[in-house]
Amino acid sequence: MNALFGSLTHFGALLFFALVVSATFAFLSKRGITERVKYTLWAFLAFLLVAIGIGWLMYPFSQ
Amino acid sequence: MDETMSKVAVKGNQMLGIGAAIAGWVVPGLGHLLLRRWSKAAVYFLCIGGLACAGLTMRGGVFGAGAEDLFDRLGFFADLGAGVFYFLAHQIQAAGPDVAHATGDYGTRLFAAAGMLNFLTVLEAYDIGRGGEAK
Repeated sequence: MNALFGSLTHFGALLFFALVVSATFAFLSKRGITERVKYTLWAFLAFLLVAIGIGWLMYPFSQ
Repeated sequence: MDETMSKVAVKGNQMLGIGAAIAGWVVPGLGHLLLRRWSKAAVYFLCIGGLACAGLTMRGGVFGAGAEDLFDRLGFFADLGAGVFYFLAHQIQAAGPDVAHATGDYGTRLFAAAGMLNFLTVLEAYDIGRGGEAK
């Protein structure tokens, strides 16, 4: 397990988190494989967009 | 996998709902497995188990029961949701937590998120078990 998760970068951890949470939400809220895949992709991209957006918004305060 | 057939096969009642909820809390996905929701059981186990293991491997902190601070108590509640992964945390995370680094701090959040996600699946297992029409 260390080989799998031990070397995760912070961005890698973000991708992994976004993917598994999106998939779980899709299976909780949607029925049918097509709906679930669509929802997983949509939520995954939304997670990424929001995380990167908030990162850029916070960037000036780190200087 | 055909889950439509199994919806007919498993007739819900209150006790089945409570049993599925407890099983789902102990092992993520086990409640759905008992209710013959095969794909949901597999996805929940892999996603929540993966998230919990990632959090522990990243040396995230695990909150104990004797917390004084309200934030720590909320953390304990969230972590407890991971079921067996909470109780085996010290075995999986042999080196112990290291929240002084950002990676360990992320691990803390990942493990807490696994617990909270599992609470959602437990509620769904309870609803399906008692005969509710879940997705």
